[in-house]
Amino acid sequence: MSDQKNGTPSRGEVLKRLREAHGTTVERSQAMMKEQKQMQNAICQFIRETPKTVPEIAAEIGRPTHEVLWFVAALRKYGIVVEAGMCGDYPLYQRAKEVQV
Amino acid sequence: MSLDNLHVDALVVGGGIAGMQSALDLGDQGFQVALVECEPSIGGKMITLSKVFPTLDCCSCITTPKMSAVAHHPNIKLFTYCDVQSVQEADGGYRVNLVQKPRYVDASKCTGCRECEYACPITVPSPFDRGLGAYRTIRVPFSTAVPQVAVLDMDYCILCGKCEKVCAAKAVDFNQQPEPFEIQASTLVVASGFELTPLGAKKEYGGGKLRNVIDPLMMERFLAPTGPYGRVLRPGDGKEPTSIAYVQCAGSRDTTLGIEYCSRVCCMYAIKQAMLISGALPLAEITIYYMDIRTFGKGYEQFYQNAQAMGVEFIRGKVASIREDDDQNPVVKVELTEEGRTIERTHDLVVLSLGMVPVPGSNTALNLPLGSDKFIAIPAPNASPCATAHPGIFVTGAAMGPMDIVDSIVTASSAAAAASAYIREHKKEAVYA
Ligand SMILES: Cc1cc2nc3c(=O)[nH]c(=O)nc-3n(C[C@H](O)[C@H](O)[C@H](O)COP(=O)(O)OP(=O)(O)OC[C@H]3O[C@@H](n4cnc5c(N)ncnc54)[C@H](O)[C@@H]3O)c2cc1C
Ligand code: SF4
Ligand code: SF4
Repeated sequence: MSDQKNGTPSRGEVLKRLREAHGTTVERSQAMMKEQKQMQNAICQFIRETPKTVPEIAAEIGRPTHEVLWFVAALRKYGIVVEAGMCGDYPLYQRAKEVQV
Repeated sequence: MSLDNLHVDALVVGGGIAGMQSALDLGDQGFQVALVECEPSIGGKMITLSKVFPTLDCCSCITTPKMSAVAHHPNIKLFTYCDVQSVQEADGGYRVNLVQKPRYVDASKCTGCRECEYACPITVPSPFDRGLGAYRTIRVPFSTAVPQVAVLDMDYCILCGKCEKVCAAKAVDFNQQPEPFEIQASTLVVASGFELTPLGAKKEYGGGKLRNVIDPLMMERFLAPTGPYGRVLRPGDGKEPTSIAYVQCAGSRDTTLGIEYCSRVCCMYAIKQAMLISGALPLAEITIYYMDIRTFGKGYEQFYQNAQAMGVEFIRGKVASIREDDDQNPVVKVELTEEGRTIERTHDLVVLSLGMVPVPGSNTALNLPLGSDKFIAIPAPNASPCATAHPGIFVTGAAMGPMDIVDSIVTASSAAAAASAYIREHKKEAVYA
């Protein structure tokens, strides 16, 4: 419902207008979110107990190493994954204990 | 939000180090200044750098106080996330039409708490980290951004409303629209800066497709404490590199790219990064392939000698090509110009010392005459080094051509002095007319 007095559209109207205007990007971003969730869950699952390197994670979940590194960097930034030492030239990453994905 | 149409003495276009310095100089003299930045934060390239040559001071420690001084200056009005649409001569000055792009966040309410960012379910590449790091669809652009106000990227939003729900300040505002406004200014200072030559410009160097061949701003982010990995790793697979090479003049002095000039800063930033890597990875071997090293500034030659003394290897030669082996290692083919033979060497990571080019589209609204290098033309560089072909429009920093921070600050103060003289002259004319 519009706020008739000052002409400001209601929240529902605003979101409806945005959904109409950005339908394609909303759909694309929803698909992207689904893929990101799968990827994040797969990574976090694999490094829940034992820290692993990026190539080890990539081999386990069947994704390219550069892509895995990007996700690991993002998860690290938001405190979901932490660094846990080195294995040769590669840092090891582990799921932070207390944080939910 | 409603933007008033403003009258100011000077409008500065671009909030990098050059634009900030010009705005501060003019503001300190009592002039009313508007500073317009197209990105959501001021700071330009300098705020993304790790440390600066030749002093190796922390870049953020120098830039952040300047950003804050601009934001809090009583004579400077800051407009971030705004595009300049057109510039017309009017009433003895300039009428500038601008658009405030929607942040979908009310800047007057947002506290920069980042709760929206933590709640948002979509992760996107962060340009601040050259795409190698990530942030969320709604985010404060980086930790020291000025203003500390979130911005929502509608191109990646699913309109789930999670950000709105967690925002205690009720700042998320899906109703924002692009908002046109106008500024009348007696004079303009253009400080729109530079971009790097595209990483993919040279097919011989992998055309941007080799993951472990990177641009120098990526290396700046790896060396910064707030970088995407928190350490130096190669982006292809997260390996800590033990052999790193720099390819000089990778986008300058190259007629095949149409970039015939020397970009002036590449030798110095490569030497700086080599020294910083030596500190971060003491066991790493660092090689710089160069045609000639140009250390033009005060203290710069000493800086080069220090790098040699630290064990950085300088090899004179022309890098003919770079390919990748089966382990993602870049293999560099070098013509040793002095010895007349060609060698191949394998490294973990290669940094292309890319050149500086004008920001694409940054002159569209201004329509200033350009020089043969495509930077803004300076008709009388010896007499008026910051004056453009239009009376009352001055230029500073890397918008004039490749230059380092010291020269950007010098030209910024010079442009401010020229703008100040111009404003005073015009005010006098107005009084006696
Ligand atoms: C890898 C690398 C390392 C470097 N290291 C050093 C160093 O250690 N020491 C040193 O002295 N120099 C260094 N430099 C050089 C330094 O980055 C530049 O001298 C400096 O950033 C130039 O500042 P500027 O303000 O002119 O341009 P920029 O930093 O490019 O800022 C321009 C600003 O204008 C904005 N803008 C552009 N177009 C518009 C528009 N149309 N409307 C509104 N806003 C606009 C941009 O968004 C940006 O914020 C380095 C450069 C590189 C590439
Ligand atoms: S929009 Fe709200 S939640 Fe996001 S940073 Fe601003 S005040 Fe915090
Ligand atoms: S509405 Fe958009 S910006 Fe806000 S949380 Fe959802 S996806 Fe993120």
